[in-house]
Amino acid sequence: MHTNGTNSGQFENLRLELRRGCLAVAVLGQLRTELYGYAIRKALSEQGLAIDENTLYPLLRRLESQGLLVSQWREEDKRNKRFYRISPVGEEVLASLLAEWRQMNSALERILAVPAGKTEEQIQ
Amino acid sequence: MSNSELIERYLNAVKLWLPRKQQMDILAELSEDLHSQIEDRESAASRPLNEDELVALLKQRGSPMRIASGYIPEQRLINPAMLPIYWMVLRIVLLWVLAPILVTVSFGPIFRSGHPLMAFMRFMAASWQAPFFVIGIITTIFFLLDRYQDQWVDRWDPRKLPRVPASHPQMQWYNDFAGFAFGMAAFTFWAVIMRHRSEFVFDTGFRIGLAPIWGQLYWLILALMLMRALVNLYCFVRPAWNAARSWIRLALDGVEIVIALLLLLRVANWVDIAGPNVAPTDAAKLVQLVNGMMQVSLILIPVITAFDVYRQGRLLRRAKNGQSAPILTLS
Repeated sequence: MHTNGTNSGQFENLRLELRRGCLAVAVLGQLRTELYGYAIRKALSEQGLAIDENTLYPLLRRLESQGLLVSQWREEDKRNKRFYRISPVGEEVLASLLAEWRQMNSALERILAVPAGKTEEQIQ
Repeated sequence: MSNSELIERYLNAVKLWLPRKQQMDILAELSEDLHSQIEDRESAASRPLNEDELVALLKQRGSPMRIASGYIPEQRLINPAMLPIYWMVLRIVLLWVLAPILVTVSFGPIFRSGHPLMAFMRFMAASWQAPFFVIGIITTIFFLLDRYQDQWVDRWDPRKLPRVPASHPQMQWYNDFAGFAFGMAAFTFWAVIMRHRSEFVFDTGFRIGLAPIWGQLYWLILALMLMRALVNLYCFVRPAWNAARSWIRLALDGVEIVIALLLLLRVANWVDIAGPNVAPTDAAKLVQLVNGMMQVSLILIPVITAFDVYRQGRLLRRAKNGQSAPILTLS
């Protein structure tokens, strides 16, 4: 028998799995405009996708090492900040990822539109 | 403590765990992020953060080790897919091979001794490294398998996969398992008991001396035992026959025959026996008897191995001629 604790633990694991891929897409999408690390966190958070620094900075480095982002250190408000923006390769990958995302989303919508215990043929 | 000192300490602690090449770059970015967050909090509160608030903020960000772990490339010792087999092998070897050997070997000295507890403690002091030694060897084997499996794991062809056995090779399955268990028992005995050993001395003063050739061939025999056990494990996990398996067995058979011949061609005794209460004539008879038995064993080993050479050769010949069905259940 599952306890509430087990269920919430399972939910948390699945939520993290679900978020992992989405965050990369969200960061690539956000960086169509050049931003530095803390500003990316704030921008994503304001749009309802909070991300902590321990997730964001390693992700930025990974995406940059894959050639999807470019970065440069610049001074702003008397402090050195690292500004990121999406690279041309990143833009191509983002477009493919969004197409994949939309396809999965519409498939998911179709799956969930069928009530439990019925098949699509039975509905039609 | 001032806020700037707290921040410095925190960043320095993170630095310790970071990959050396990226340390300064990552720290500069983390420092900038931290200062931006502090500024945000201070502007919301319209005052500087006090020490407790800064401590709470740093705690919320996570421990230095946790922060740094995100930047460290994922590393592993053993492929997670192989972990169940790794645990199974460890369990078998430690519980069903090493433990019985240690119990058997310790039983005599402990119960013959006038001070069993002392004898037990002496035995434990002498043999406590044995499990670590065995775990180390097994872990190294799985590490090497993981390290080099990428070289062959993707080079596959569905047509070259092993055939499905025509019938369930139950008997062979037991043989392979027994071969692995006894092989590991022999390996463990050789690795633990015979390591750096030139003689066995018993409490009564009775001693069995080993000829130097055992030391000269020690590593070769140890490697052969390990390879034999691993081949049996592989046959147990993958029961369907393939040509590579027979070739490996043939190579091991060859090494085994060479070792047996090297031992046989040695002129002097393989073991010497002496004891304080044993008359020289009795000792000589005993030495002659034991060495005679060893000679018979050493003659039998190449003969039995030659049968296996014949069997593996026949399997390979039949596979080459396309007569695959009867050999599927054989290893």
